[in-house]
Amino acid sequence: MSDPGDAAVSPGSGDGRVVVDLRGIRKEFPGVVACDDANLTVRAGTIHALLGENGAGKTSLVNVLGGVYLPDDGEIWVHGRQRQFHSPADAIAAGIGMVHQEFRLVPTLTVFENVVLGSAPRYLDMGQIIERVAHLAATYSLQTDPSRPVWQLSVGERQRVEILKALWRDADVLVLDEPTAVLTPAEAADLGLTLRSMADRGRSVIYISHKLDEVLSVCDEATVLRNGVTVAQPRSLAGIDRSDLAEMMVGEAAAEIQRPTDQPSGDVVLALEGVSALSDRGLPALHSVDIDVRAGEIVGVAGVSGNGQRELAEAIAGLRPTTAGTMQLEEADITGASPRARSRAGLAYVPEDRLGVGLAPTMSVVDNAVVRSYRSMRRRMMLDLRRCEDFCRRLVERFGVQVGRVHEPVSALSGGNLQRLLLGRELTGEPKVLVAAQPTRGLDVAGIAAIQSQIVAQRAAGVGVLLISEDLDELLALSDRLIVMYEGEVAARMDPTQVTRAEVGAAMAGTAQA
Amino acid sequence: MTEPTHAPLHTVARGRARWHRVIVRPVLQRRARVAPAAQAIAFVIGIVLALIAGAMLLWGSGNDPVAVYERMAESSLGGFDALSRTLLRATPLAIAGLAVAVAGSMGLWNIGAEGQMMAGATVAAGFAMVAGDLPGPVLIVLMLVAGAVGGVVLVVGPALARAYLGVSEIITTLMLVEVAIRIVEWLKVGPWKDPESFGFAQISPLPDQASLPGLFGQVHIGVLFAAALLLAFWLAVSRTAWGYELRMAGSSPATARYAGISLQRKVLTALLLSGGLAGLAGAIELTGTATRLEPGLSSGYGFAGIIVAALALMRPSGVAVVAFVFGAVLRGGQSIQTLGVTSSIATILQAMILIGALVAAVLLNYRVRWVRPVGSGTDADATENPASAGASGV
Amino acid sequence: MSEDAVIGLLVATVQFATLVYLAGLGELIAERSGVLNLGVEGMMAMGAVTGFMAAIATGRPWVGFAVAALVGMATAGVHAVVSVIMGAGQVVSGLAITIGGLGFAAFIGQDAVRERADAVFTDLGIIGLADIPWAGPILFDQPPVVYLAGVLGVAAWFVLSRTRLGLALRAVGESASTTDSVGHSVTLLRTSAVLVGGAFAGAAGSFLSLYMAAGWTEGLIAGRGWIAVALVIFGAWRPGRLAAGSLLFGFTLALQPRVQTFDLTIFGLEVNTISPALLGILPFLLTVVVLIAISFRARHRPSPAPAALTLPYRREER
Repeated sequence: MSDPGDAAVSPGSGDGRVVVDLRGIRKEFPGVVACDDANLTVRAGTIHALLGENGAGKTSLVNVLGGVYLPDDGEIWVHGRQRQFHSPADAIAAGIGMVHQEFRLVPTLTVFENVVLGSAPRYLDMGQIIERVAHLAATYSLQTDPSRPVWQLSVGERQRVEILKALWRDADVLVLDEPTAVLTPAEAADLGLTLRSMADRGRSVIYISHKLDEVLSVCDEATVLRNGVTVAQPRSLAGIDRSDLAEMMVGEAAAEIQRPTDQPSGDVVLALEGVSALSDRGLPALHSVDIDVRAGEIVGVAGVSGNGQRELAEAIAGLRPTTAGTMQLEEADITGASPRARSRAGLAYVPEDRLGVGLAPTMSVVDNAVVRSYRSMRRRMMLDLRRCEDFCRRLVERFGVQVGRVHEPVSALSGGNLQRLLLGRELTGEPKVLVAAQPTRGLDVAGIAAIQSQIVAQRAAGVGVLLISEDLDELLALSDRLIVMYEGEVAARMDPTQVTRAEVGAAMAGTAQA
Repeated sequence: MTEPTHAPLHTVARGRARWHRVIVRPVLQRRARVAPAAQAIAFVIGIVLALIAGAMLLWGSGNDPVAVYERMAESSLGGFDALSRTLLRATPLAIAGLAVAVAGSMGLWNIGAEGQMMAGATVAAGFAMVAGDLPGPVLIVLMLVAGAVGGVVLVVGPALARAYLGVSEIITTLMLVEVAIRIVEWLKVGPWKDPESFGFAQISPLPDQASLPGLFGQVHIGVLFAAALLLAFWLAVSRTAWGYELRMAGSSPATARYAGISLQRKVLTALLLSGGLAGLAGAIELTGTATRLEPGLSSGYGFAGIIVAALALMRPSGVAVVAFVFGAVLRGGQSIQTLGVTSSIATILQAMILIGALVAAVLLNYRVRWVRPVGSGTDADATENPASAGASGV
Repeated sequence: MSEDAVIGLLVATVQFATLVYLAGLGELIAERSGVLNLGVEGMMAMGAVTGFMAAIATGRPWVGFAVAALVGMATAGVHAVVSVIMGAGQVVSGLAITIGGLGFAAFIGQDAVRERADAVFTDLGIIGLADIPWAGPILFDQPPVVYLAGVLGVAAWFVLSRTRLGLALRAVGESASTTDSVGHSVTLLRTSAVLVGGAFAGAAGSFLSLYMAAGWTEGLIAGRGWIAVALVIFGAWRPGRLAAGSLLFGFTLALQPRVQTFDLTIFGLEVNTISPALLGILPFLLTVVVLIAISFRARHRPSPAPAALTLPYRREER
């Protein structure tokens, strides 16, 4: 093919040799098919983008390659041999290096100790190992101090340690799952240079990202997944622009959800003005967000995950302190109010993390049903168990929760029934505002339909709904107004009846002109 | 390892990663649904295993296991008097177990119940020294209150440190056990030394009216306190808003926070209550069975209480059952001394019941699945891929 | 007070330090791998009684010492099976080891109580050095176990900080899933650490029965196992600081039986009025203080406690 000298200078040409070939991968989780006939072909010396919307199956696919998941069907070929990975160690042995979104580092150990952990020589000659790690880092211009403990490092430096870990094991395929999500722009640019220098040395990189600009500037080839299926595999990104990629990712609308009938909306029931908040890491995650929700309307919030939607929902629920701005629920100022005060003021909240924040897994269905209302079911110090149980039974009946016994732990319920229970609990007591974060994620078809019809029913009953979702079809079908979040800001405000999926997709990727 | 530059190292990992493909290995898989009676079954299995192991031990040391077990059963369960002796020992076990369970139902470990019992007994004894003239019932009630206060005093430091600084209560409560025991030792030879005991140092005896009235046989009314406390705790945890909040805070802190429950206050109250109950157990033991305060008064009841609570899964009904069984084991262990067998067989049996039940519970909650190597031993990566081989040849 | 009394105090300090250091070092190794073993007291008792009986049977203290280490290891094996392999709670499992170990030791040691020890360790008396005033008796005329403990301490430091095994052990105590993901077996590492810890505790117990007390009685361990648990925290989970801590704790232990014979006044305090029992509280109170200090410092930097301590690990099976 091309001459090897050429490969070193012209980015992305490689020598065409196939390093990784995933064929017809299928991976099913209870109730969800993450990958269904997914293919991925990566050549030596290239940076290969793996694109797709959230839930398209990208992370599942690379976890199959990394030995984290055992595929239900399909073949894994690495370097021309078929492999079966039973553990991450098997994949490492085959030369696959994974850099997960959540780093696998030991904070109290030093950089070099983290790098060599698992494949260190029997005796740790500190001077020599530090020198070798430093040498390896310098080769790929990964700036780091090998003898510093990891807890002192910035997120960007920690990522470099993860990459060093893979290189130390001589990984010739490096998989990065949304590597720039946690980086500053300058760090992201440095990462691009590092990856290019790896490709120039004949290694391959699989690069998962939503940021289309970044993909176009960094990657050579791409694979696009939609609903777990590989829909496009451009061999070159030369003639391709952002909107092409966005279209491949989003595809054609397949909306079957019934749009709620038009109805006049009422007064503003939830008003956010200039709200800012920090992420768990203490970095700015929400910048001066203004949102109004009126009675009887659904405001959809779209966005690629990690662009501040989670923080937005938690800030409204009172679970995350705000650093600026004000929040009003009808007439009441709820800016600094406790979660309980907000709930009494008429806020219902369906959290993203059902079994973490919303429900107590080891407690019974009844106990979980009364989280918001148990205080009103007291008789002196005692809890009126009969009232609790009646309340629970009514809730279970009204919202179609399928339970065996109401006294069994909720962890025995399926995802759909958990969500029905949670939604039902939040909706009793006639809230004025409903904030629902990813309410249909991970549910089966029947579950999704049930939850969606509940949300529509709330709108009809005059509740103001803020619907945060990563399912674009759902948002386009249900919302009266659509807000797109990008990097913690409201990037676009759209009329869902007037926009195309591609336009929303572009806004989600931060390329909207709106 | 002499090369200054980077050498491929993954060959090392390759060799080590391969062993589990060849061997059929057991893997523990959590069962989706656990039988509701699993813990009861595990407890029974633990008892059976402990009895078998104990029999082997007895037989190995030249005793007749059947005779020993017969004597143990007879002396602990055979008749009114035997039962009263069992209940006498079950009483402090149940209250100490309850103390541990109060903290445990919030996911906290009060490992210092032994020390809090000593602290409770100490404060109660101290109160009796200054107020020894009070009439019996008043004195006893006040001594019991003083006992609870003593337990709280010992646990307040660890409780504050846990609630506001996040310091693990496991070690802090444990450390204070030794502190409490040594304080009693110091009192014995120092300030509280009985002037009437000459060569042999001991603490002054309690006033005569400071002993709990008997109920029947050997047992005193402390057993009624224990039953009442178990009932009250069961009611409090399962029927009151307070108990609901306690369970919620233990099961899911984030949900509790969402429901407006203060985690710090719950940690504090759970640990203080736990310490208070343990202190009360100490005071009951003092007024019920002892004539004077001694460093060995709690004699392991506090530590055994942790095992009781763990076996009971922190449930009051379970605490009652396990405390009764352990009380019988203790009484039985004491009775066999007349056969020339040491009473330490009782502590061995307790530990073995726990270990057997722990293992049985894991095996009941999990399913052992034997994983066969995929591709039955042949190395999967041996298959050549003609297509790629062709491609690489280009 | 006499010179001899001070030398005697310091000689005993070194011996008590050795006792708690050996047991503490074993506990340190187990805890660095993420396993809290509250069974030290029980493992020491098991080692003390079996080591004593083996020494009497064979007439050789070293055989007793080795048997004690093996028995300590076997006792710890129960904890390893229950808490590491089965993944049950470390706290209760460890307590069961203490309770059961003490009971078991009392049971098998019934007849040994009356035995007089003739096969005990003798002081080494290093030629030439043992006669040096002060330093001689304190440092160079001690039983061999004292020097062995020093060697084991250096070895433990070396293995933990300078070898692949030690790195894996430290890593598994901080994050089992990370260590698993790079191909180390979490179960193997933790089980080995617990077993080694048990061997150290058993050996420490036999130092008590084969030298310091030169005999076996029920209650011989008398809370020294708990002091070892405290020492690991006081020493911030590091072998070096553990040694320093063991000298301090050893000093309080050595002082307890002697304090009331010292006719000395320090800062107006008459030393002989200090209660031995209250002196015995010191290690435990200091440990609580250290724990609280650590929690304050942990706001700025990670706690020295292994992050995965007491957390069982079971890989999510697919």
